[in-house]
Amino acid sequence: MKERGFSRRGLPVKRNPLILFFVAAIVAAMLFAGIHASRRNRANSPTKGQLIGNVAPDFELPGLDGKKLKLSDLRGKAVLLNFWATYCEPCKVEMPWFVELQKQYGPDGFQIVGVAMDDASTEDIAKFAKDMGVNYPILIGEDSVGTSYGGVGVLPTTFFLDRDGKLIAREFGLQSRSVFVDHIKKALSQGQAVQARK
Amino acid sequence: MRVLLASALLLSCACAQVQDAPIPTGPAVKMAPAPVITIVQGKPATVPLSFRVASGYHINSNKPKSEFLIPTVLKVEATTDIVIGKTTYPDGQDTSFAFAPDEKLNVYSGDFQIDVLVRPLKTVEKGKYIMRGTLKYQACDNSACYPPKQLPISFDVKIAKAPAAGHKNPAQSPHAHQ
Repeated sequence: MKERGFSRRGLPVKRNPLILFFVAAIVAAMLFAGIHASRRNRANSPTKGQLIGNVAPDFELPGLDGKKLKLSDLRGKAVLLNFWATYCEPCKVEMPWFVELQKQYGPDGFQIVGVAMDDASTEDIAKFAKDMGVNYPILIGEDSVGTSYGGVGVLPTTFFLDRDGKLIAREFGLQSRSVFVDHIKKALSQGQAVQARK
Repeated sequence: MRVLLASALLLSCACAQVQDAPIPTGPAVKMAPAPVITIVQGKPATVPLSFRVASGYHINSNKPKSEFLIPTVLKVEATTDIVIGKTTYPDGQDTSFAFAPDEKLNVYSGDFQIDVLVRPLKTVEKGKYIMRGTLKYQACDNSACYPPKQLPISFDVKIAKAPAAGHKNPAQSPHAHQ
């Protein structure tokens, strides 16, 4: 049997240090790339456990009037971030509650933000929001934003941010009003109330 | 060197697997295998396509009651020799759901069938043809909805030769007795 690392004559095989260095570099690069990709995936598609307790992924999206809203500009307020769509009937059930909750808790430093994850036109979304009497900003969503929140393949998906912008809860699908109230109260009680930037 | 390379491969695979479990993206609507329909050249025929919505879910019918709801639509790609005619959708069921008990939505749930009219041209060569298309649907359950999806569909049609026009009984042919 041929011994590894030795020639047929039993003499040590000459290893080219350049090749060894090259192989080591490839291994190191693959390791680095793998770990980096893993971290990036976790950052972009966090599971509930990884999202909750961390600062919410920031984004800037246009509203129905074209003006952009940056999530981090709401720092200092408790935020209910609601991903919805015009085709989503359960989302329609929540909206009147959100209108009431915005009125009720808005003065305490609470802000609802709706993100429409829709193929409908901005005009249709605006018509829908007007028909529903929405009194909070509706933003035109992008898939990348949904992905940064772990994917919003279920609508409605609602996140709750405390005043520091930390995610404290997430709810999939339609919930009872009391569930929202509980999360809102918790969000308002956490973090520092500072004057939100405009 | 082989050990090093193998280790690197294993490590990179292991890293790639340290990913998050995907969030569910809704139910699947499946199409049952369609029967192969034999169609005569130049003659139309109906191809029934059977679908099943997963238990606990519903999809909008082809004629939902709100302009904002996304209808179920079947699109079959026409070929140069086979024309796709009318698509006939079943009536949806008016159903109210727990999230809005006072409102009725027109939906499909369980099994439903869509009929597609297929008409091969007279000039089409006989044989088996694969027809392809998509079923666009948007599903919900009792508390949530899922983004619209496009289900790829396909079915086979067998084109048979049309009987020759003016065909005479050989027994009556003046050449039959020759």
